[in-house]
Amino acid sequence: MNRRKPEASQQRPSLRRLLHNAHLRVALLAMGLTSLSLTLVSLLALSTYAGHNLQLIARSLAYTLEAAVVFNDRAAVRDALEQICKTEEIAQVAVFDKDGELLASLDTPNNTVLNSAEQAIARLLLPDVVIQPITYQGKQIGALHISGQGTTLLRFLIGGLLGLLASLALSALGATYGSKRIQRAITQPLRNLSQVAHNISVERTFNQRVPATHIADLNELAEDFNALLDQLESWQHQLERENASLAHQASHDALTGLPNRAFFESRLLGSMREARDSQTQMAVLFLDSNRFKEINDQLGHAAGDAVLIAIAQRLRAQLREGDTVARLGGDEFAVLLKPIHHEDDAVLIADKIIDSMHKPIALPEGGSITTSLSIGIALYPEHADNPEALVHEADVAMYHAKRSQRGRIMAKSQDSLTN
Amino acid sequence: MYLNRPVFMRANRKVLCCTLLALLPILAHAESSDADSATLRATQVAHVVHGILSYARWPQQPEVLRLCVIAPTEYADLLWQDHELESRQPVQAKRLLVDSPLLETDCEAVYLGVIEDSQRIALFSRLVGKPILTISETSQACSEGSLFCLSISDEHVGFKVNLDAVARSGIRVHPNVLQLGKRAGPQP
Repeated sequence: MNRRKPEASQQRPSLRRLLHNAHLRVALLAMGLTSLSLTLVSLLALSTYAGHNLQLIARSLAYTLEAAVVFNDRAAVRDALEQICKTEEIAQVAVFDKDGELLASLDTPNNTVLNSAEQAIARLLLPDVVIQPITYQGKQIGALHISGQGTTLLRFLIGGLLGLLASLALSALGATYGSKRIQRAITQPLRNLSQVAHNISVERTFNQRVPATHIADLNELAEDFNALLDQLESWQHQLERENASLAHQASHDALTGLPNRAFFESRLLGSMREARDSQTQMAVLFLDSNRFKEINDQLGHAAGDAVLIAIAQRLRAQLREGDTVARLGGDEFAVLLKPIHHEDDAVLIADKIIDSMHKPIALPEGGSITTSLSIGIALYPEHADNPEALVHEADVAMYHAKRSQRGRIMAKSQDSLTN
Repeated sequence: MYLNRPVFMRANRKVLCCTLLALLPILAHAESSDADSATLRATQVAHVVHGILSYARWPQQPEVLRLCVIAPTEYADLLWQDHELESRQPVQAKRLLVDSPLLETDCEAVYLGVIEDSQRIALFSRLVGKPILTISETSQACSEGSLFCLSISDEHVGFKVNLDAVARSGIRVHPNVLQLGKRAGPQP
C-alpha cells in the first residue's frame, strides 16, 4: 500500500534539489560571466595604461639621463636608474651609449614566487621591452631599454579574483535562499497534497481535504483533488452502506430482524472462548413455540408471521445488553446469556420469557392470540464444552420440556434442578 | 717605434732578431697604451668641454663660440678639431696668453691649463661677473672662481661646477649639467 519506496526517492531528485541546482547554476553562470568579462575588460584597459605609463617613464627617464649620457657619466646614470626603480614598477632597465655599449643596468631582484607571477603577467600583458632613444641636439646619443613589472596588474588580478569568488559565494547564498523560498512556496502545497493522498490510501480517511495555497496553478490542482475526494468519499459511504446492509442481510432474519443461525453460532463460538478465558459461566436457551404449526395452519402465514415477530420483540425486551437472541429457523429461537453468575440467573430469565408470552398477540386480520414457549436451558461449562454440544443439550432439554409441558427444563440434571 | 727598429737591426741582426720579435708586441703594447691613454683622455676632455659648451647659453648668444685656451695644457690637443657636439654651435679654439687683454672681449669660453696659483687668482678676479665660461684643468680651481673644473681620473673624465660662479657669470647652464657637476663636486 505504501507508495513511498525509499529507492525511488533516492534515484529521483527532489523538486527542492532541482530548484536549488537550477538557481545556483544560473546565479553562478551570470556572476561568473559578468565578473570574467569585467575583469578581462578592466585588465585590458589596465594593461594599456600600464604600457603607456611604461613609455612615459621611459621618455622622462631618457630626458633625465640625457646629460649623464652626453658626459658618459656612468655613476650618474646608475644613480638616476636607482632613483627611478625605487618609485616605479620596473623589472629591468638598461642604458646604452651610441655605440651600443652598456652604461648601466638595473634588475629588480626576482626570487619570490610572487615576483615570478608578476613577471609572467608582465610578459603577458605589458609591452615586452620599451626601447627609448636618448637624443641630444637631434642626434641619438644612446638608448634606454626598459621593461615593466606586473605588480599592479597582479594586485588587480588577485583583487579581481577575490572579488569574483566573493560575489560567487554571495550569489550562491542568494540562490540558495531564493530556491528555499520558492521551494517552500511550491513544495509545501505539493507535500500537503501528497500527504493527504498518502493518508487516504493508507488509512482510507476520505474526509481529509487539501488546504488552499496562494499559487494559482497549485490551488487549482488542490481544488480538483478535493473535488475528486468529495466524489470518492460519497462513493465510499455508499459502498459502506451497501456493505453494511448486505452484511446485515446475510446474518439476520428478514422477518423478525433477529440474527440468524449462522450469526448465532459464530457469536456462540466467540463467547465460549471468552468465557473459557475469563472462567465465567454462560447459558444457551433453546426456545420453541408450542402452538405455532397450529396457528400457521389455522390462521394463515400472516398470523404466523405476526406471532413470530411478537415473540422476537418480547424476547429482545427480556434480555440484557450483552445477550444475543437469534431465530434459528421456523419457530425455533435461541438465546445466549453471558455472563451469568449462577444457573438461577438463566432460570430467572427463562421464567420471565415464559411470563412475557401470556399477553395476547394482536393479529393482522383482527383478533388476538396467546402463545407459549418451551425452553431448554444448557449451561457452559457444566453441560457441554463446545457450541454444537451446548446447543444440542439445550435442544434436548427443550424437547423434554415440551413433552412434559413444563415450560422450561435444565439440561441433563433436569429433575433435580426443576420444579 | 718605426725609427728605432733599424738601429736595433743594424747592431746585431741575427741575435736580436728573435728577441726583438718576441719583445716587439710587449714594447709596442706598452708604448701604444701610453699613447692611447693620452689620446683617449684628450678625446674625453674634448668631449666634456664641448658638452659643457653645448649646454650653456650666453646672454648674447654668438654665432661662433670662441674658446680661448690659456697656459700650458695637458689634454687640450683635440680642442681644435671639429667635434660632433658642435652641430648647432661651431666652436673656434685659439690660444691666448694669460695676460692678454683680448680675454675679456674675444672669448666666450676659457680653457685654463696649469698655471701658478697667484696668476690663476689674478685671472679669475679679472673674469669674475663676466659672461665667460671658464673650464680649468685642475680641480682646485673651482674654489677660486672657475665655473667648471675637470676631474680627470684613470678611467673617466668628469667635471665639477661652481654654482656660485655660474650664477655670477650670467651664463645659463642646463640644470641637468649642474646636477652632474654638483654630484661630482663633493667627491675628493
